[in-house]
Amino acid sequence: MSAVQFLGISKSFGAVHALSATDLDIRTGEFLTLLGPSGSGKTTLLNICAGYLAPTTGRLVVGGRDVTALPPRQRNMGMVFQNYALFPHMSVAENVAYGLTVRRLTREEITKRVAEALHMTRLEGFGERAIRELSGGQQQRVALARAIVIQPDILLMDEPLGALDRQLRKEVQLEIRRLHSARPRTTIYVTHDQEEALVMSDRIAVMRAGRIVQIGSGVELYEQPVDTFIAKFLGESNLLEGAVGTVADGRATLAVAGFAQPFEGRAAAGLRAGGKASALLRPEAIRTEPGGLPARVVERVYLGELVAVRLALESGHELWSRRLASEWSGRDAVEVGWDASAISILPNASFES
Amino acid sequence: MNGRIALNVFVALVVAFLVLPIIAIVPAAFSAQSFIRLPPETWSFRWWGAFFNDPSWRLTLLASLKVAALTTLISVICGTAAALGVARSSPRGRALLTGLFLGPVVTPAIVLAVALYSMARATGLVSTVTALVIAHTMLALPFVVLNVGVSLDALDRRLPMAAAGLGASELHVFRTVTLPLIMPGVVGGAVFAFVTSFDEVVLSIFLAGPTVKTLPVRIWEEIRVEYTPVVAVGATLMLALALVAGSASRLVGRRRSGR
Repeated sequence: MSAVQFLGISKSFGAVHALSATDLDIRTGEFLTLLGPSGSGKTTLLNICAGYLAPTTGRLVVGGRDVTALPPRQRNMGMVFQNYALFPHMSVAENVAYGLTVRRLTREEITKRVAEALHMTRLEGFGERAIRELSGGQQQRVALARAIVIQPDILLMDEPLGALDRQLRKEVQLEIRRLHSARPRTTIYVTHDQEEALVMSDRIAVMRAGRIVQIGSGVELYEQPVDTFIAKFLGESNLLEGAVGTVADGRATLAVAGFAQPFEGRAAAGLRAGGKASALLRPEAIRTEPGGLPARVVERVYLGELVAVRLALESGHELWSRRLASEWSGRDAVEVGWDASAISILPNASFES
Repeated sequence: MNGRIALNVFVALVVAFLVLPIIAIVPAAFSAQSFIRLPPETWSFRWWGAFFNDPSWRLTLLASLKVAALTTLISVICGTAAALGVARSSPRGRALLTGLFLGPVVTPAIVLAVALYSMARATGLVSTVTALVIAHTMLALPFVVLNVGVSLDALDRRLPMAAAGLGASELHVFRTVTLPLIMPGVVGGAVFAFVTSFDEVVLSIFLAGPTVKTLPVRIWEEIRVEYTPVVAVGATLMLALALVAGSASRLVGRRRSGR
């Protein structure tokens, strides 16, 4: 069942096309992340959903109802803003109660629901505090409490963790995931951080230049990227450019200069025989292999239990491998190979950003 | 070191130049003599009695307070609304509107006075509170627009957006979020408006008449006839009110920002 449907939604600011006509279906209870570099249109899409921006074309349907023309206050959506936008002249409890007061609930009901929301976001005892007395992480939780206390049909979050330091960001990611699994609520989450997207989302829509390039679960995006942009944006990747040989039955071959054998792997859509494309080898697929290609280790980066090594091949190509530290210890002259089933042949993205 | 001393002396002289003539009028109000002489040889509250026992002085003080209060009220309401409109308009519209609102302040007062006098005569409004309030509002309103405008520029635009998203109507957003946050600007504008009206002479001389007269006009008329310390009493009263208004706005500003 669809909770939110974007039907041909686009947005132009004068001559600037911020968002090309976009169709997107979000299921009830789904946690969907819009992932993309800045200027890719993800915040525009979110603001159209909230009603802060009117789309140039298209319709927005929420719960089967066309809300395209409704102002934000009639949409019953909870928004967590970047930098939170908490009301500085109100206490924590007053901030959280704002949406309930507006809904004219009784005093007892408001007190009860504010207390519940503060409990859920682990802010008990902070109700009477002023906003400026709180740390960044606490302010973030107040913003979340203020958004969920109104029991929104859709929860919208615009880079809500951008202002937090790395350690706190990881904690809050898990916290948001915990809240979501305790009570699944249709959520649209905007971020440019791939790790954040992978940790929290049911599905991720990767955006670039005002379009959704690919949408799917984290696993789908990682294992079956549609082009080199997606491959680079999610996870680490080795991309080798070459010419497409054959394309058949979802498999393709790619001839890369300097390699005697063509690469053979899963074919992404849109490959043409003879056209240019790239072979994707994830760093974890590249291993030592007696009798494999001779290579030299030119850089080692220790990552705790893993080590990343930069390998120079005789063809002049460089590959990154990321394996258990023991595998690359010792010698600099090595023989390498890869798991042939992990190769994907991808069209080159029309432009990179 | 010598340079520093020289600088301090220079600053002290500038301050004395600016402030002394203003403070000098205060002792004159407590003189026992019939003429303003500085410093007074003997002291009394004689002229304060004369001021408050003379209906012509008492009524002008009341008229001044009344005109200033009405001017402040109208300026604050219209000026705040205007500032909200200016803040919402396009950059070009903003420049144009700000220029228009500042018009009456930069127009030479005497030009404005002549223009308003001819309008007041045509409409039979000379020597009415209405005419004075209209004229003073023209001068006071820009201060409210400017002060509130500064507060609005500092306001995070996403706060009203967040309130609207939580379900509040535009009026409710204004009452509970926008207005409390721009209050320092509103209070500052109100003080400017009050002082501007209370202090206004040029337009008031043209528009006042036998039925209504403000304190500065009465002072001006008095010293053309005789130069008694009762004039100093009027001036001291005006000075005191300006000081009270000024400190009140500072206090409100500090309490707001202290929250």
